[in-house]
Amino acid sequence: MKPMSRRQVLRGMLGGALITVPLPFLPSLGRRGQARAAEGVFPTRFGNFNWGNGMVPEHWTPATTGAGWAPSRLLAPLARHTDVLSVVSGYEVKVPNISPHTSGKFGFLTGIDPNRGSGDGTYALGPTFDQIIAAAIGGTTPFRSIECGVTSEQVISWNGPNAGNPTQADPAALFRRLFGDSFRPPGSDAPPDPKLALRQSVLDVVTGHLGTLKGRLGRDDATRLEQHLDGIREIERRIAQLQLPTPALDACVPPTVEPSNPAAFKERHAVMTDLMVTALACDQTRVFTYVFSEHNNNWVYDALKDGHHRMTHDELGDQPGVQECVLQIMEQLALFLDALRAVPEGDGTLLDHCALLCSSDVSLGRLHALDEFPTMIAGGANGALRAGIHVRSEVGASAAAIPLTLMRAVGVRAASFGEDDCTETESIGELEA
Amino acid sequence: MRAALFVLMLSACATAATPAVPLVDLGDVPLDPGPAVTSRLSRTQYAASVEALFGAGITLSVALEPDTRVDGLAALGAGISATSPSGVEEYEVASYEVATQALSPDRREAWMPCVPAATMDEGCAKLALASLARRAWRRPVTDGEVDALVAVTTGAMSTLDDFWDGLEYGIAAILQSPFFLYRPEIGEADPNGGRRRTAFELATRLSFLLTDGPPDAALLDAAEAGELDTTEGLEVQARRLIASPEARRGMRAWLTDVLKLDALDHLDKDPELFPNISATLGASAREETLRLGEYIAFDKDTDLRTLLTTRTAFVDRELAAVYRVQAPSLDAFAQVELPAKGERRGLLGQVAFLANHSHSTATSATLRGQAIRESLLCSPLPPPPAGVNTSIPATDAERPTLRDRVTAHLADPSCASCHTRMDLIGLPLENFDAIGRWRDDEAGYPIDASGTLDGVDFRGLSEMADLLAADPMLTDCLVLQVVRRALGRAPGDGEDEMVDALRARFETQDARLQPLWLDLVRSPMFRRVESP
Repeated sequence: MKPMSRRQVLRGMLGGALITVPLPFLPSLGRRGQARAAEGVFPTRFGNFNWGNGMVPEHWTPATTGAGWAPSRLLAPLARHTDVLSVVSGYEVKVPNISPHTSGKFGFLTGIDPNRGSGDGTYALGPTFDQIIAAAIGGTTPFRSIECGVTSEQVISWNGPNAGNPTQADPAALFRRLFGDSFRPPGSDAPPDPKLALRQSVLDVVTGHLGTLKGRLGRDDATRLEQHLDGIREIERRIAQLQLPTPALDACVPPTVEPSNPAAFKERHAVMTDLMVTALACDQTRVFTYVFSEHNNNWVYDALKDGHHRMTHDELGDQPGVQECVLQIMEQLALFLDALRAVPEGDGTLLDHCALLCSSDVSLGRLHALDEFPTMIAGGANGALRAGIHVRSEVGASAAAIPLTLMRAVGVRAASFGEDDCTETESIGELEA
Repeated sequence: MRAALFVLMLSACATAATPAVPLVDLGDVPLDPGPAVTSRLSRTQYAASVEALFGAGITLSVALEPDTRVDGLAALGAGISATSPSGVEEYEVASYEVATQALSPDRREAWMPCVPAATMDEGCAKLALASLARRAWRRPVTDGEVDALVAVTTGAMSTLDDFWDGLEYGIAAILQSPFFLYRPEIGEADPNGGRRRTAFELATRLSFLLTDGPPDAALLDAAEAGELDTTEGLEVQARRLIASPEARRGMRAWLTDVLKLDALDHLDKDPELFPNISATLGASAREETLRLGEYIAFDKDTDLRTLLTTRTAFVDRELAAVYRVQAPSLDAFAQVELPAKGERRGLLGQVAFLANHSHSTATSATLRGQAIRESLLCSPLPPPPAGVNTSIPATDAERPTLRDRVTAHLADPSCASCHTRMDLIGLPLENFDAIGRWRDDEAGYPIDASGTLDGVDFRGLSEMADLLAADPMLTDCLVLQVVRRALGRAPGDGEDEMVDALRARFETQDARLQPLWLDLVRSPMFRRVESP
């Protein structure tokens, strides 16, 4: 097999951050997750739990800062998680607020105004930072990152302009991808399947074609083919890994039955939560985007008469209906955290080894507001983050500090994050352990 | 107002009846060609391509990456979007699933050019792979390319000790190749100056435009024989394809893209408010629209603008119940005539429009108006500026109807500048609820269906359908939507005159799709590309 150039994986992906990425060199890694097996250290995972249409700031922000924060009205469903959940409030996404919802979402996750230059706000102009993290820490698991959730109409995770990572919202399809025929259970040292080498020989032909074609097309198309090549290299990496013994993982209990696809969104969330958490417990990936709901979604929450997005715009006053939607979303987030905490890893839980960002696309949906941007961080990132505190900026500091803090916490040596007015070089010290 | 409407319609009819203006010769129109476009296969194009190689009925367990819309069209997204790592993975899985099914004993005889004489029959493998690759990649293949496929295949044959199991890997390589998954356009020097698409690139572009599928054997042979190098030769092939049943597939793909009919797959309506709606209503509604498209563009070969004004409808039992017309006796679609004096007619009266552009619980004059502006008039409105209060007043005794509430909102000049252009063509459809059923009142209050389209007052869906059909913006937009699909991009400044010429000819030729397709294919814009 040809040696892979790990540097190439990152080409064209670094628009949003000035970073040095410690690239994993796989072929030299004799055994997957070797370090952990030897030292009993659990890997750090990063996740982005995203919901649509924001919240109501007035009822969101906890009254006290620091540890032991008391849940506000809207955060009450998360009361049982305050010890592991940090609220980061008062930050603002510093992009011109031109495109409702996507200025905030893409501006926050990439640090780049999606309406800059030729951008029209419908796509991200650089990689979302989950992909920067994936390039740094995703290289030793079968999947560099997983994008899944309850709904799949919008793209949250991007590799760059017009290069989205679609969300998988079909539990059966995600099951087949993660735990289907090519799943190698932990603790396996079965001899490699000879068909893996044959698949690799096919990929060699495809790689040759991509190289030939790339040389004949213009720059933009060459970039697209280079991104295709990234996907080929990901498969090659997985094929190489499938031929290595896998370490035992006590917490990994892979599902054996293909799950159904419930129509009701809360039920689908329950099924997808199980799959995603199991994927982490089985070390299939260390980086994920979980899309609970999307902006503009008009799901009708229990006991309400109208769709969520529509209510954010049409409901008057204190928006009790919108608040009810937010409360129910926080209940679902609490269930997701329950599942992460239910997986024991060493002396702690899976969540202790996660940095899970929980955020949205706006604060007050009615105004598509980008100040008081709703963000929380669950988990301690293997001790790199202080969990369970409320950090507040009273001056509307740039929200770009949050991705920067998270990137550094999970091991990306980032000098800065964001561009133009979003450029941030200082992480949030209070969050760092 | 009635009189004005009548005159407008009369003039539209007059234009349609006799070609008053001589047809512009497209070869004389100034052209500064735009760039070639390397489009990805859409999901439907992938399926059509597999079917062309191995026959119908091949299924995939994996869903390929969704098509990406750019400026409202998947045809534009296909030209610039990249494949994600998970998308590449899906292509790999799909390639083996297709190959396995293609090689099943009951299927392979139909396409295999030879019978293997031995497990390692390299000659037969080479013959099969060379023939498949030429059709899959829509161009002649080099010896080196075939040799590489054969090497993979014989390697697999020897590992697996089986001819067919080995051939699976050669086929998988063909299907994972970017030459299959994309439609690369590199072009060549044009002997008349500048640059042009190669004959095979033209054949490919032609076929995907007209049939949403790959070039067939006759078209590839024509390309190879140099027959597409002349406009006349290209036209012969275009006429052949337009006359084939596959052209209906091309029209369907176009209409699905323009009208966002794919969104009907996940029509989300509140079950409490619409207890009788079934999970298949969206699919039925899409099929209705596509059947109407076929009826107008092919069965009748008539004015595309009658899509808006016709009273002919195609309904199954579910749609018949929504429209309150006689249900077909069989569990299938039937052609019916909607009541001659009713408000419901054409595209705007279909569930595929009315339900697709409503909320899950209620109608939306804004969404409906926006859809008309974007899809039918090609003048989408910008999103609302962020930071403005977008609330409209709540329903109360003072403002019981959507119109009352929207009108209050329109009093704000900063909203009104855009919203009048959407809401005042959405409100006239208020007699149709969020799934498209007729209603006389909204919560007991009578519905006022008056509206304004660019300064002309009217009332109700039926009058708006006439106004839109007579609106030059609609005619222009229909042409633009076809051009966008044909080129895989928006026409550039240097192509504006050509698009205008196509519009003039479209108008003169009764605004029919088939002559427009032919004109477009014959225009130098289809052949010539920008020099690098």
